[in-house]
This record gives sequence, structure tokens and C-alpha cells, in this order.
Amino acid sequence: MNRIVVTGLGVISAIGNSVAENRVSLMEGKCGISRLEMFPSKFSDVLPVGEIKISNEALKEKLKAPEPGITRTTLLALHAINEALADSGLSNADMSSSGTALVGASTVGGMCLTDEMYMDSQKDTPGSEYLASYDFATTCMYLQNYFSIGGPVNTINTACSSSANAIMYGARLIRSGRARRAIVGGFDSLAKFTINGFNALHILSTEHCTPFDEDRKGLNLGEGAAFLVLEKEEDVRDKKIYASLSGYSNANDAFHASSLSDNGDGPFRAMKDALASAKLNPSQIDFVNAHGTGTENNDKVESIAMLRLFEKVPAFTSTKANTGHTLGAAGAIEAVYCILNLAEQELYTGLHFTNPIATTKLVPFQLYKKTPLTHIMSNSFGFGGNCSSLIFSKA
Amino acid sequence: MFYIHQSSCISPQQTFHDVDLNKLHEPADRKLLAIEPRYDGIPPGILRRMGKAVRMGVGAAMPLLQNNPTSDGIIVATVNGGKEDCVKFMNQIIDYNEGLLTPINFVQSTPNAVAAQIGLLTKNHGYNITHSQLGLAFEYAMIDAGMMINENPLSSFLLGAVDDISLFNYNIEEKSGCHKMETISNKNLYTTNSPGHIAGEAASMFLVNGNETGAIVKVQAVETLHTTDESIMKEKLFGFIKKYLPAGEKMDVLLTGENGDNRLLKYYSCCESLMDNDVTIARFKHMCGEYPTATSMGLWLCCDILQKQTIPEHMIKKAAVKTGYKNVLIYNNYNSIQHSFILVSIT
Amino acid sequence: MESTQFKTQLKKQIVEFLNLLSVNPEDIKDDEPLFGEGLGLDSIDSIELIVLLNREYGIVIEDPKEGRKILVDINTMADYIEKNRTK
Repeated sequence: MNRIVVTGLGVISAIGNSVAENRVSLMEGKCGISRLEMFPSKFSDVLPVGEIKISNEALKEKLKAPEPGITRTTLLALHAINEALADSGLSNADMSSSGTALVGASTVGGMCLTDEMYMDSQKDTPGSEYLASYDFATTCMYLQNYFSIGGPVNTINTACSSSANAIMYGARLIRSGRARRAIVGGFDSLAKFTINGFNALHILSTEHCTPFDEDRKGLNLGEGAAFLVLEKEEDVRDKKIYASLSGYSNANDAFHASSLSDNGDGPFRAMKDALASAKLNPSQIDFVNAHGTGTENNDKVESIAMLRLFEKVPAFTSTKANTGHTLGAAGAIEAVYCILNLAEQELYTGLHFTNPIATTKLVPFQLYKKTPLTHIMSNSFGFGGNCSSLIFSKA
Repeated sequence: MFYIHQSSCISPQQTFHDVDLNKLHEPADRKLLAIEPRYDGIPPGILRRMGKAVRMGVGAAMPLLQNNPTSDGIIVATVNGGKEDCVKFMNQIIDYNEGLLTPINFVQSTPNAVAAQIGLLTKNHGYNITHSQLGLAFEYAMIDAGMMINENPLSSFLLGAVDDISLFNYNIEEKSGCHKMETISNKNLYTTNSPGHIAGEAASMFLVNGNETGAIVKVQAVETLHTTDESIMKEKLFGFIKKYLPAGEKMDVLLTGENGDNRLLKYYSCCESLMDNDVTIARFKHMCGEYPTATSMGLWLCCDILQKQTIPEHMIKKAAVKTGYKNVLIYNNYNSIQHSFILVSIT
Repeated sequence: MESTQFKTQLKKQIVEFLNLLSVNPEDIKDDEPLFGEGLGLDSIDSIELIVLLNREYGIVIEDPKEGRKILVDINTMADYIEKNRTK
């Protein structure tokens, strides 16, 4: 079977505006969690976030995107996709070919404009410039038009596992012959909407999040965007190949709307089926980029599922300690990090861990090191029991 | 691609129990609102938290899954699903000034709540996904199901779509100029010659797999296109028909998503111009109104037409002297730029 | 307000706030467990009830785990409200 390979990467997050900047931050163990500055919220001083410190105006200027109605979510997406397309060397003709697909993922979309959206949804207010911008699909519609993308253009929303599923869908479009290449990714920006939503569930930490720590207090929200260019290996010719996407799976926990089952049935099945799709044994996985949000429920259940699957749990960390939880962008940003792990043959410094969870005793990877890596798993779990796992392999 | 074995639909027409498509239910307050059933199959403890889209989606799906508990997954398209809760939660944020808020609206505010609730209620641990790409969301869900069944020929899936009219999307669409300004009967939808459509809503669900035996219809092919140029659309549609219409057969029915918006008429005219004289042309948006995933209602009607070999009079735009409907083409345009072609055949 | 009268009001508030469709407030027994068996409420409901206590009675509960000790049944809830209400 022809392998699906990654030929381009782009990312913007709280720890860097490019793939290279993100890598340096990961190597140095940089934490991008800070005080919320880009919009007013009652929680600015209380709930730290993984914010990208570039204003919308500066992003518009930098990206030459002055159109009215453009949202921060779309600006972040455009920033990341520009980098990925340049990296993969795709021409305008490549983009407008009917063989080029775009599959995006977002859970915030235009809701980053919480106040404007509230006003526009009321009956007797004049409409703002953002009327057509609130939908989750707005960003992909913008990118379709911007690059004249000729093939399928889709947006997937499975909450916090959205962009892992976008990556899967893009790969399957290629495998089925519906696309020659797929540009896949996720994008979300911080919003009053999500800050208040996660806060209402009492799962936001007032401190830096501490994934897999016994005393973890919840997650930090973040923002960002990332894109991958997927192609068939036979089409790549002399381009640089970062890694291959060797396996994937999507399963449902079918337990509760906002928390995972005690046994981690959904996470277990997603990981197990991803291994089966890659035709690998658990022992062949060298590293897991865990979902690891830092909440009581997720980290415990994910640990239990890993213990069920792996005879010896491989090295693992959660990069959400660096970036915050970027929701619909998380799966794509973390996919970029996994691909960097493989391409550079290195593991990055894990952050903010002190004591293992008493019942599972798993200790995440701690200090940067160069090490041989062949297969890496990336987990993304979301509300509604939506669990997905991806496996990337050395080029 | 795949075969449809069962279908179910909750819409503004009598489509759920004792299907009767001949009587046309009219809009109320400029909206075509779904006739909701009693939802006896949904436990009250769970129903209490469901917004309208979730309720309609789950309500339409339950009869199909109760008979087929072994479905391998749930593939849903929805654009507006969850937005009712979204606006409720925004109202809380503003009304209580980011104070102490109840989380349930937030949890139910994501579009994946529909597929997730169906998975939860039927304890389905398989593939579970939600497509949200506006006027092509259902088409990408269909393509997903087609790919899944191709990857694993013995698998079966619940495939469907739901969108509801919530005050949130209605007010925003109203301000964007999507709706007709005048109050009209849906009987006159196609003769208004004015911009805008009637807002609508529905949930349509299908049980699909790769097994021809016992199937109602076969979905032969689905293709999507982004363009505002009708000549490009025409060329692509011509190629689609040539590629997928079985050799030696002809198109019997064209079912279009014409929605009364005179800004989109050129696309539908263009599509009709490709049809031979003996093709019956029918429309359906006067029944369900316009909503992003409306082609799912078109597909449901297609199943009904092919099964019963009859088309309700009010749907027909151009009748052709013909018996024995075999191949139906569904063409839909959403907001000028999103086009879809779906070919459905009797088995 | 008399204790039984207050409990009746509290039951109505709970049914309305949680949109308990098939539950008649009068049918909830004072010592019937709210979670698990009995009314069958879950973790999201416990957070919703903490919001109810805040909006109706001005009671602030920071830790949802604390909340579960109060939200055992109607008796414990009513008792706590009477002792801690600020409105």
C-alpha cells in the first residue's frame, strides 16, 4: 500500500509563530501560559491561558488580510496554512487542481467574537460586519476562496478531537482516490465563550496546568492553528518527507456528555484500533503525545487506558503544558510536534510534573534528549466521548 | 458507493409516522417548522437536556438503530446543531456578567452533540463523526460513509443530517438577507421572483451498508464543487452524469434544491438545460424550507419516490410522460458557491 | 416559611431548573437520594444545583466536591440552605 506522507508543516501557538520557533520552545521547555491580554474578561487575572501575543490588527497587517468580517480564528489558520504550503512547495496550480482537498477543524470558529455574536443574534439590533463569520465552516470557506482550492473542502467538529479527525478524513480522501493531496489541520482562538464554558464545568486551573500530576487542578485554555500537507509517497518525488501517517482510528466512549468512562473504553479502543490500522503491536510505539489536559478525569482515564493497552507504557508527555488546550487545533498542533519528534529524532522536555497519580503511578517523560524514534502515537479526546488516535512513523 | 436500507425523517411535512406527502403543510410565522413527534423512545432523563436539533436528530435515528443495534458507527452532518444552546450560554455570559453559569448549555453547544447523544443512547463505541461544512456538510458525510464501507465492505452505518431553526441562526440569517422579506405560502415559493428563501429545518437519517439485498436504493455517486460560475458547474455536472450514470441507462428524475431565491435560479436553469425532454423535474424546498443540510431531506424523498414510484403533484416542475423511475439526480446549490451532485438509483 | 412548605418550593425549583420532564415535584421524597439511585442526577446536575443555590439563595460553594456533601437529598439541601442563605 502506498504510504501517506507529510510534506509540509505550519503552526502558530503560544510558544511560537512558526514550526522552527515551536521546536526551539519545546527543546527549551518553554511554557506559553500567561495572562489573557487580547480581550477583556472578568477572568483575565484569575485564569491563565496559552495566548498568542499578536493582536488581530498586527495579524491582518502581516497576512495582508484586511477584509471586513475576518476573525482571529481565520487569521491564525491563514498564518499556519501559509507556512505549510510554502514548506511543501505547492504552486497556485496545485492548489486549484480538483485533486487538492482542504479539511479543517474548529470548535470555536467565529465564536471568538462572543460579544458581537451575542448582539447579532438578538432580534432588533443592526447587523455587524461579522454576520457571515460565526460559523465553524467560515474559515475553510475563506481559505477555499483565498487559494481557489479545487477539491473537496470540509470542516469537522468533534469537539476537542476535531483536528485529529480532519487529519484522518484527509488521509482517507487520498486513499480512496478522491484527492491527490490533502491540506489538513485545525484552528481555534481564545474566546469569552469557551473560557466561561470550561469555567462553568469547574475544569480550568488558576495555575499552570500540571498534566498527569497527582495534584492537577484542571486545564489552561490556549489558542493556535496548525496544518499538515499530506500526499501519496509516489507523488512526492524529490520533496522532503517529514514522516508518514501510518495509522488512525476514531472511537466513541459512549459514557457521558462531558467526562470519560472509568475504564477509558473510548480512549482504549481509539488507541488499539489505530495500532491495528498501522499493523503495529503496542510494544512498537516509542512515544505517546497524550491528550493530557490536566483535568482530574482525563489524565486518570487516559492513564488507565494506556495501562490497559501497553504492557510497558512508552515515554509520554502532554504538550498542553506548553501551549494550553487549543481545542479544535490541539490534534493538529500536537501532530506537528509528533512529526518533529520523528524528523529530529528527539523527545522534548515535559513540564510542571511533580508527583505521579497515586492509582496509576505513571511518570511522564521529563528531560529533552536525542533518541531513536520509529512510531509515535498522538491522542485526542473530546466532549461527547469522541476519541481519536493517530500514529506517525519515521519517514 | 453504498446502499440505503432504511430511512427516517422528521420534517415540516408528515414524514415521520404514517407518511403522507400529498398534503402540504404550510409555514407559520415565515418559518417551515418541523412537526415533532412525542419522542417516546428517548428516556425523559436524557430528553430534558436536548436542544431541538439534538432531539430531532436522535428522534429520527432511534427507530433505525433499535432494529439494528450492530451499526458500526454514526456519521452526522449538522451546521446549526447546538447553536440554540450556544446562544443560551451566551445569554448567560452576558446576563450574569461572566458570573456563576450553568454548564449544560455549553456542553450541548457543540455540533457533535447530535452524533454523541446517538452514540451514548445506543452504546455505540464505533466511528463517530460530525461534518459541518455548511451546504456540503451532508455530502461530505455521505462521502465519509462511502469511504468507510469501501474500506470495510461488511460494515454498516447510521448516516444522517439535522439542522434546526433557532432564534440564533434565524436572526443572523435574517440580517444577512437570506430570508424572503415578504410573507408567502410555500405553494407560491417558486413564483415569487424575489431574493431569499423560507427558513426550514428537518432531520433525516439512513441506515447504509454495502449489501444490495433488501436495499431501498443505491447511492451511486456524490460530488461537490465550489464555484460561482454556472458554466463551470454545467461542465462538471455533464462529466458527473457521463461518468456515473450506468451504461445504457438514462436519467428519469431531476430533483433540485431550487429554493425560490431568484439569485440562485441561473444555476438551476443551467442544470435543467442538461436534461433530456423526457426527464421529470421535481423540487422539494417548499416542503422543508432552506437549511444547510437540506439535501438529506432530498435523499429521503428520493428513497420514497423510488420505492413508491410516484411523485407528489406539488413537487413536480415539469412532468414527463414516463413510468418506472430508476435513476434520480439530486442537484443542490447553497449560497451560490457550494454545489453538489448526487446520483441515486433503484436496486 | 414552614419547613415542609419550603421543601415543596425547593422541589419545584429543582424540577424546573434541571428541566426534569417526567418528574412531579410532589413525588420527590424528602430522603430520596438525588444522585445515582432515586432521581438519578449526574455530575453536571450537581454543578447546575450549585448555581441554583447561588442564584436563589445567595449561597457560594467553590468546590463541586463540597457541593455533593450538601446535595444528598431534599432534607440535607433544605437544612443547609436554611443555615447559610444570604437572601
